[in-house]
Amino acid sequence: MSLLNALARLSLQNCGVAARMLHTTPILCAEPLKKKKKLDPQIIKQREDRKKKKIEKQIRRLEKNARQLKPVEELEVPIELLDEKDKRQRKLPPLSSAEQEQRALLKKQWARYKHDEKVSDFQIIDRLVQAQEKALQELRKESEELYRAAIEVDLQLVPVTIKGPVATPPIKNYASPDGDYIQQSSKWE
Amino acid sequence: MLRRLVQISSKPLTRPQSTTAAKEKWDLYAGVLVERLPVVSKSLNPLEQQFQELLWRVEHENSLKSNHEIKHERDLAQAELIKQGKAQVEVDDSAAKQTAQDLKDAYVEEFKKFQLAARKTPDDAANKTDSTDRCLEETVYLLVQQKIGQQQHLLLPQGKRTDGESMRQTAERVLREQCGQNLQVLFYGNAPAGFHKYKYPSNQRSESVGAKIFFYRASLLSGNVDAKQQPTIKYEWLPKEALSGKFKNTAYAESVNKFLF
Repeated sequence: MSLLNALARLSLQNCGVAARMLHTTPILCAEPLKKKKKLDPQIIKQREDRKKKKIEKQIRRLEKNARQLKPVEELEVPIELLDEKDKRQRKLPPLSSAEQEQRALLKKQWARYKHDEKVSDFQIIDRLVQAQEKALQELRKESEELYRAAIEVDLQLVPVTIKGPVATPPIKNYASPDGDYIQQSSKWE
Repeated sequence: MLRRLVQISSKPLTRPQSTTAAKEKWDLYAGVLVERLPVVSKSLNPLEQQFQELLWRVEHENSLKSNHEIKHERDLAQAELIKQGKAQVEVDDSAAKQTAQDLKDAYVEEFKKFQLAARKTPDDAANKTDSTDRCLEETVYLLVQQKIGQQQHLLLPQGKRTDGESMRQTAERVLREQCGQNLQVLFYGNAPAGFHKYKYPSNQRSESVGAKIFFYRASLLSGNVDAKQQPTIKYEWLPKEALSGKFKNTAYAESVNKFLF
């Protein structure tokens, strides 16, 4: 309203001017500007706080869920074992001192044996590496080109699968009896 | 100080005279060590066996009784009660009820029916050295009879490099030519695993002085040397201990031993 009044006053003042060169027209299709709602700053602050709290709550919930790990069934002791522990304990006579002594000696002997084995393994590795290096040096002496070809990476080897030795050799023409695969693992979100 | 300087400066001067004469031409050969890896695990030696038994005993001592053992104990107690007349024999389901001992007997019976393959093969007994189905616990290596000079030798398969080939390609070609297409192997990389050189007899040194052999390592995937190819060649698969006895040349045996396991 005040704006209209001001305009009316303006046109009145400039009446003489308008007659000469300035055309003033009534404002068509206009509507009064909406009064801007003035919000209480406290309310705004409250709203923002609420928003912030909501987001924080969500984050907290996510974090809580992230900490919940998928249970590993194999690592959990079955309840029946815990319940019947006394019943299931073996009642064996305690070891005699001679037996303990013998076991300790055997363990020491075993430690020495494994140590020797490891040392000889390292020696074998050293020898193999030396042999290879010698071969490469000799090849380089003969031809730089052949040497370059020899030290290239063999990409065919990159996914290499080697099957280890087994306790008894595979039976020839053995048809393994068919079984059913039962999917037991439960799904975890 | 001055004298040392003189020595150093005089060295390069004297060198070229000796090397120009010594720039010799060597023939390049590729050799292949084909190994059949062990199929079965090694038998335990006495110490290993002893320790294995100890571990089993400790494991048993620390374990809890299984369901089967519990059931067995319960069965025994029940039988004792029946004997004393304190409990009734349940007529209706005693026939259907199997004791733990019955189950165990059935399992043992079933296991006895299953025949495991022997760790020793018929080829072991027949000492058939051209078979790969032999010495399953050991790594066995392929030796092929070849003519070097005037004589036949049992050696790792080897052959001369032709122009334009890398040593790896030579090795693959040599193996294919000597052993046929049947032999499937996996080469361990492009680099040679071992080296051996020898000089030709002095009357044959006109072109090149000697041969340098670069050995490649490969493991057998499947197949064997083609026995039907012409001319037929003699070959053997031998474990490490028997290998060096087959080499007539000690220097060659030494070079090969350097890259064997």
